[in-house]
Amino acid sequence: MRRFLALFLPLLILWALVSQANHVLAQFHVYLVLGALFVVYTALTMPLRVGLLTSFAAGLLHDSQASVAFGLHAVLFGLTHALLFNIRDRVPRDETVARVVIALLSNLAFFLVFSFTQIGGLPSPGEVWPRLIWDLLWSQLAITLVAPWFFALQSRSLVVARVARDEPV
Amino acid sequence: MPLHRFDQARPFLTLGLVVAAWLVLPVVVKTFTRATFFELTAPVSVSASYARDLQEFWSLRLHSNTELIEAGRDLARLNASYSLSVQQNTEMQAEIARLEQLLRVPPRPGFREEHARVVRRDFSGWWQRLVIRKGRNYNIPVGAPVVFSGGVVGRVVEVYAYSSVVEVLSSPNVRLAAFIEGDNRPISYQGGINPAFGPARGVVEFVPLDIHASPTIPRRLVTSGLGGVFPPGLTLGTVVRMEASTDGLFKSGEVLLDPNLSTLSEVTVLVPDSHEPIAN
Repeated sequence: MRRFLALFLPLLILWALVSQANHVLAQFHVYLVLGALFVVYTALTMPLRVGLLTSFAAGLLHDSQASVAFGLHAVLFGLTHALLFNIRDRVPRDETVARVVIALLSNLAFFLVFSFTQIGGLPSPGEVWPRLIWDLLWSQLAITLVAPWFFALQSRSLVVARVARDEPV
Repeated sequence: MPLHRFDQARPFLTLGLVVAAWLVLPVVVKTFTRATFFELTAPVSVSASYARDLQEFWSLRLHSNTELIEAGRDLARLNASYSLSVQQNTEMQAEIARLEQLLRVPPRPGFREEHARVVRRDFSGWWQRLVIRKGRNYNIPVGAPVVFSGGVVGRVVEVYAYSSVVEVLSSPNVRLAAFIEGDNRPISYQGGINPAFGPARGVVEFVPLDIHASPTIPRRLVTSGLGGVFPPGLTLGTVVRMEASTDGLFKSGEVLLDPNLSTLSEVTVLVPDSHEPIAN
């Protein structure tokens, strides 16, 4: 439970910051989607059960704020988590640069899959892509800037909670 | 070898089990979980909005007395003209009530105006929503229309203890019957096209062929009052382009929405006087 809270609280802080950024950016019709950032650290460093639970909870947090079927973000976050967990032994997962690159690629995949699930309900699906591409570009830029700080925050949060990273659940 | 394969599939099997468990969960549990997560985050958003209000208050305190006197003078002039409008409005309301009584027409639904601060704007390419700082504590009902000085903002889609979620007019989930000003044939409006760095837009469909609009001759789009959710005559936007639809029976067009929709800091919820549920 302590480990879950130590992982989930930084996610709550990130969500609050992103939602405030989106509040300000609404006047420019720009929207940041940093979905992968909620998953990458836990998927690359945490044991499966607690990591997946944290990612699923982060997905539910997003679902409660969005106009989508409740559980969609949770399933996509869970899927991203499972994929990253599966490849984590084959990537330099302790290097910040590698983590940022993984976050960028995961976010790209997440954004595209999420867009395809939502685009059917729009009146002119073709016309919305330029907007989505702008959003994606800004989101990727934000991830590049925010990810190193956020990974450090998550790491410090575990230290403060006195939870060892690879300790079995 | 099979053990190694199982190890590789373990994350997906675990995820599969979680998803399967999620799918069989009763809707009541999911609704409760959604409300719980929303209420968990509500204090974060609400306190941020109070902090913004405080920031605005202190920035206004920096204005000089001369500026305040000028603003007060302008407001006094506005108040004078509005007082005249209120008198005329009262006279017209009395006339309408008299005619309704005379013709035995059922009275129009009345609304209580509930002003609310905007807590958070959530304007993605897929949906556009606002969170406002009033909810069940002010008897805000789901489906209530939300307006501002420029016309319609949208309608309330979710109500929580101290906050509500408003689906904005530019959202593709908003679809309603509208009139072109000066014409009483209903047409269909839907939000949805929101380019980056530009004003939000919507679309109109099933427009009669004899109605024309262009960027040089735009037409005002107003609420029809059909369905009983929105009062008639409120501004939705301006129709700036129209072309014949593929079947040739109707026209479809593009609606330019008020650019202030994406910078709103306060809105008004029209709470119906009757306690009947609002049609969606």
